[in-house]
Parts: sequence; structure tokens; C-alpha cells
Amino acid sequence: MTTPRLSRRTLFGAALLSLPALPALAQMDPARAAAFIQATGQELVGVLNSNAPVERRRAAVADILRRSVDIEGTGRFILGRWWRAASPAEQAEFLRLFEEVLIRNLASRFGEYQGVQFALGRAQQRTEDDALVTTIVQRPGSAAFTLDWRVADVNGQPRIVDLVAEGASLRLTQRSEYSAVIQRGGNQVAALLNAMRQQIAQLSR
Amino acid sequence: MRLRSALLSAAFLMGLAGCATPPPATDREALQEFRANNDPLEPFNRAMFQVNDAIDTVALRPAAVVYRTVVPPPLRTGIRNALSNLRAPTVLANDILQAQPERAFRTAARFVINSTLGLGGLIDVAEWQFGMPGHTEDFGQTLAVWGLGEGPYLFLPVIGPSNPRDLAGLAVDAVASPWNWIGQGEVVEALRWARFGLTILDTREEVLDVLDEVRRTSLDPYTTIRSGYRQRRQTEIANRTGAEMPVPSTGFGSVGQTPSDPNPR
Repeated sequence: MTTPRLSRRTLFGAALLSLPALPALAQMDPARAAAFIQATGQELVGVLNSNAPVERRRAAVADILRRSVDIEGTGRFILGRWWRAASPAEQAEFLRLFEEVLIRNLASRFGEYQGVQFALGRAQQRTEDDALVTTIVQRPGSAAFTLDWRVADVNGQPRIVDLVAEGASLRLTQRSEYSAVIQRGGNQVAALLNAMRQQIAQLSR
Repeated sequence: MRLRSALLSAAFLMGLAGCATPPPATDREALQEFRANNDPLEPFNRAMFQVNDAIDTVALRPAAVVYRTVVPPPLRTGIRNALSNLRAPTVLANDILQAQPERAFRTAARFVINSTLGLGGLIDVAEWQFGMPGHTEDFGQTLAVWGLGEGPYLFLPVIGPSNPRDLAGLAVDAVASPWNWIGQGEVVEALRWARFGLTILDTREEVLDVLDEVRRTSLDPYTTIRSGYRQRRQTEIANRTGAEMPVPSTGFGSVGQTPSDPNPR
């Protein structure tokens, strides 16, 4: 049994040596991730339950999401294999639309989220560089449900990179969805961008 | 008849374009995605999705909306509890078949408590007073635990997202349920139909918001439901659900879910 242990140690040593060469993939401490979700959640709930005009609330939500979500990393993950097929202009446009869809979607549900509350569940390390924080969300008049937030370290700051509801990861689902739209649009990223623009137009009506 | 013509065109489409053409082997990423989606029958499935949409729009969804509007929440909860109590023997059998004695014990204890103190299952006393939340199991999950693969993704009208394994599981659970062979006569027959009808209403009502949301926000609801269903099944099979998963999600097809505890273990 000494051989595997030895080789593992050697591997560990090699990994340590190569660490400085790796990009900044810092560990995400579950407690830190939980504190981050607690703070962000409180902020979000505060805006959702406020009586400010819709425009003001939307601006506040946009501000919170921009600060707490890794828009670029998540957007790139979701575009997946099509990221490299996209031109730099399309990439930039995609990230802009992705952020807009995220904000508009949440903003279009302000009414439903009146009186929303949440409680922090457990937080656990998922991979080397991200942690999963469980929250229990309660809306008046409907059953409580759990949402798991995947938090990663992005340039030294905790950022949301995924949302898991009912065992389904939103970024995985959205990656399939967007890829299907591109493929059905003749393998053109432009087809997705068009569909996203239409969606935003619909949501802002 | 729109429905009939839709069915006919679906049958036609199935013959014409039942199978999807896989991407060429040279496009490795596309091929990888094609395999990961596990949907070689996509053209057929999309046709069935349309058929289901038609049925859902004219019948199932309106029925669920009426059910939600007319039946007060406490009664709906009672009906949901009673329906999931009736599923307890099925859950118990699958707990045992999956060699999960602790979960089997909980299912059995809940059935005894809720059938008696819970007035025939209407009140979930086991969770409320004994802190024993329920969970669901089905034979599709048991087959998965035994190592059987899911087979190609299937979307079927009314049943919704599925696959050969889960479909077989659904049939086995339906046939093996003790309520199918206990009792006879018109009253029993009527009760069976009532249960069947209520199960459909309850299930559709439960996913009303989720499906409305998918329809509203997804650029391709077919793909969203496929992805959501397959991911959720994986979590269910691994028993990472139960207490952590209070509301059954995207599947129209998951029949007779147990409402459970919002508090994580």
C-alpha cells in the first residue's frame, strides 16, 4: 500500500510546484461563500420587498447582480463550444444580452416575489474552487423551495457562477437551450443573439 | 379536430423523420454534444412535444388552473397528502428493492401514522408531529440503481419527459400497486378512477408555475425540459432529493410526488 501513497505524495508535490504557473484559481471556503450569499440575498430581498418604483428596483437589482454574478465566466460557460465560433463582436454582444436577460427576467417577476424570505442552509465545498450554498426560499402563499448557489472565487472575490434548483443546474440547462437555438438557426450564433433581443423586447413591454 | 390532425401529422413525422442525423465524426464537439443530449429520436420527440402542447393548452393546463382556483389550499394539500400516502406501498417496495432499509422503515412508519392519525393520509402527521419527511421512489429509479441505463430520451404526450427505463418503471409501479388488486366492484372501480383523475390534476397543478416559467423564459422549452428532467432524475436516483427537494419540478410525468420538508437535513 505504500506505492499509491508515495505516488499521491509525488503528485501533490508536483501540483504544489506547478501552482504559481496556474491562473488564479483560489479555493472557495464554504463559510466565506455562505456569508457572501447571506449578504447578497439580504440585499436582493430588501430590494424585492421595497416599495420603490419598478424602474428604481430594476436598477438596484441590476447593480446587485453585476456585483455578485460572474457574468463573463458564466456567459462563456453557457455559450460553450459556440464561444470560439463567435466573432469578438458577437462575444461582446452575447455577454451584454446575457446580462440584460438575467436582469429583465428577475425584474419581470417583482410582483411574484413580494414578501419573499430566505434562510441559509448548509454550505459545502463542491470542487477545488467552488462551494455550494443552500438556501430555502419562502414566498407567501406557496410552498418553500430550495435553491443552491454555486459560488466561486473570481479574481479574489466570491461570485455566483450557477444556480441549482430541484437538482438541475441552470447553467447546464441554459447551455443546452442556447446551443439548440444556435443549431436550429443554421449553426449561427447570430440566431441566438436575435432570439435574445426579441426576448428582451418582450420582457420590457 | 386539431388534436386528431396533430396526432396524424405526428405519426407521419415519426415515419418520415423519426431519427435525428448525428453530426459528422469530424466535428468532435458537435458529436460529443449530440451524445450527451442522448436524444437520437429528437424529431419524433419534438413532434410529440407539439402534440402534448396542444393537449395541455386545451385540457390539462386549464383543468389545473380551475382546480387551483376552485379548491382551497388546505383541501389541495390534503388531497396531495392522501395521494402520496396511497403511493407509500410502491415507495416502500422500491426502497426495499434498492436495499435501503432505513428509508423503507421511514416509508412504512409514515404510512402507518398517516393512514391512522392522519385520517387516511389527509394530514401528514408523520412529518408535522414526528419530524419524518417523506420521499419518493419509483421502479425506474430502482432499475437505475440496479445498473440499467436510461436508453434514449423520450417525450410522450401527457406522460411528458421520459425514457424506456422510466416508462417501464411507470408500468411496473402501476401494475404492482396493491390498490390494483385489492377489492372489486363498482365503488372500488370508481375510486380508482377518482384517484387517477386527481393524480393528474394534482401533478399538473404542482408544476403549473414551473412550466409557465419555462414557457415564458426559455428560447427553446423542449430543450429546457429535456435538460431539467434528465438532471433531476440523476439527483433522484442518487437520493440527493427527498428533504432537499420539496417541489417536483419540470416533469409533467412524475406522478404522485410526496410533498416534503423544506428544511435540509
